[in-house]
Amino acid sequence: MIENEKELIEAIAEMREEEAFALAKGMLDRGEDPVRVLELCREAMDIVGKRFEKQEYFLPELVLAGEMLENIGAIAKPLIQEKSGGASNKLGRVLIGTVHGDLHDIGKNIVTFMLDINGFEVKDIGIDVPVAKFVEEIQDFKPAVVGLSGFLTLAFDSMKETVQAIEAAGLRDQMKIMIGGGQVDEAVRTYTGADAYGINAVAAVTLCREWIAA
Amino acid sequence: MTESSASKANAPLFTVIGDRINPGFKSTKALLESGDMAGIQALARRQADSGAAALDFTVGPRAKDDPDFLVEVIRAVQEAVSVPLCFDYPEHEVQKVCLETYSPDQAGGAKPIINSMAETRWHMVDLLKIRPCRVMLMASERLEDGIGKPNKTAAEIAGTAKRAALRLVREHALTPDDIIVDVSISALIADTVGLNREALAAIGLIGSDPELSGIHISGGLSNIAQQLPPKAADGSDLKLQLECAFLTLARPLGMDTVLATPWRGFQTLPEDNYVLGVFKQVLQASGTDVLRQVRKLYRK
Repeated sequence: MIENEKELIEAIAEMREEEAFALAKGMLDRGEDPVRVLELCREAMDIVGKRFEKQEYFLPELVLAGEMLENIGAIAKPLIQEKSGGASNKLGRVLIGTVHGDLHDIGKNIVTFMLDINGFEVKDIGIDVPVAKFVEEIQDFKPAVVGLSGFLTLAFDSMKETVQAIEAAGLRDQMKIMIGGGQVDEAVRTYTGADAYGINAVAAVTLCREWIAA
Repeated sequence: MTESSASKANAPLFTVIGDRINPGFKSTKALLESGDMAGIQALARRQADSGAAALDFTVGPRAKDDPDFLVEVIRAVQEAVSVPLCFDYPEHEVQKVCLETYSPDQAGGAKPIINSMAETRWHMVDLLKIRPCRVMLMASERLEDGIGKPNKTAAEIAGTAKRAALRLVREHALTPDDIIVDVSISALIADTVGLNREALAAIGLIGSDPELSGIHISGGLSNIAQQLPPKAADGSDLKLQLECAFLTLARPLGMDTVLATPWRGFQTLPEDNYVLGVFKQVLQASGTDVLRQVRKLYRK
C-alpha cells in the first residue's frame, strides 16, 4: 500500500475529517481509481467498526466515519458510474421499518444510515408500519433482508405478527429477518420468529454482510 | 456550587420514581429469571430507603403470557415497601392485571401510577374505572387525523401534553396532581435533530402554562447517557454528570419528577462544570455537529 493510501485510512480511522476528505479528493483529482479510494474508505470503516466493538469508539465516531465515507462517495461514485456506464454496485437490498404501534425512529435511522454507507441498498418505510404494508413493500422491493425495529415492549407482538404475515404471504423463504431496538434479546427473537437480533447498528451491518455479501 | 443550588442542597431536588424493577437492568433481569422474590424485595426496599416516592414496575414482556408471575411479583414488592407502584406497560390488558392486583392499603392509600397513557393509546383511559390512579402521560407522540405521529418540537410536545392533560382533568376527573407529563428524554449520543433541546423548551412551555398549574413534569433520565462511555474527558462519572446537567437546566423550567435510580446522588451542577458546559454546546448544535460536540464529553 502506498503512503497516501495509508494516510487516508488513518485520517478516517482517527476522525480527522477535513484531512480525510482532502486526501481522497486529491487522489481522485490525480486520476487514481475511484473504486480503490472507496475500498480504502471501507478498510478505514472496518477499523472504526472494530474499535466500536472494543468500546474504544462509540456511536459518534461510527456515524462521523460513515459521513466521511458518504462525502467521499459523493465525489467518487460519479467517476465510477462514468467508467461502468451507470451500473449500480450495491451489495444487496434491505427493507427496514418500525413495526406498527411504535413511533420510535432513532435506532432505525442509524441502522439505515450505516447499512447505506456500507454499500447496501436500503429502503426505509418509516414508523408505525402496518403488517400489510410490510408485505406489500416486500413484494415490490424484493429485499434479501428485512429489518423490524421497535422500542416499546408492545413492538414484540407487532414483530411476531409481521413475521407471521410474511410467512402467510409465502415470502418467508426468500429473505432473512432481523429485529432490533429497545430490549430485544434471544428470547424476543425466538418469540417473534425472526432469524437474528442486533444490539446496535454495527451488528445489523454484520448480519447483512453475513447473509448477503459473504 | 452556585448560590441557588447551595441554598437548596438539603432539600430533595426531585420526586424520584425508582426505575430499577425493570429487566432492562441485567441484575434485575437475573432476579426475575430466577424468580428470586427476596432479591426483588430487597431491590424495592433499597430504592424506597434511598428516597424513591414511587417505584416503576415492569417484569418485561413475560407479563403478557404469564400473568400469575406478574401478580406474584407485584404482591412481593408491595409486601416489601409502602410506596406506590408505577406500572410500566403500554398494553391495556397487562395494566388491567396490574391495577386489579395493586393494593392501595399496602401503600398507605396511595394511588398507583399508570405508565403510560398517550393520545395514541387513549382507550387506556377506561383503566381509570378499575380504581383511582395517577397517570404518566407520554407527550412524545400525538394523534392527528386518527394517525399516530411522533412529536419532535417543543410546541408539539407541549401542545400534546396540554390537550391530553386537560382532557384527563375535564373528562375523567383527575386532579392536576394526578398527572405526570413525560417529555421523553432522548439518548444524547444519537440526538442529531435536537430532541433534548426541544424537550427542555417543552418543559419550559408546560411549566409556565397557568392552565397546567399543579401537574408534574418528568422524564426517563437514564436515556440521556445511553451508549456513552462511563468516564467523561475530565475524569468524572459521565453518565451521572450528564443526568445532572439535564436536571440543572430542567429544574428551573418546571421539571419536578424523575424516573431514575434513587441512589445515584443527583445534584445541580455549578456553571463551570465541564460536562454541563459541553452539554450546553451540544444543545446548540445541529445535525452531525451534535456528534462532534458529544465526542468532547469523553475525548478532549
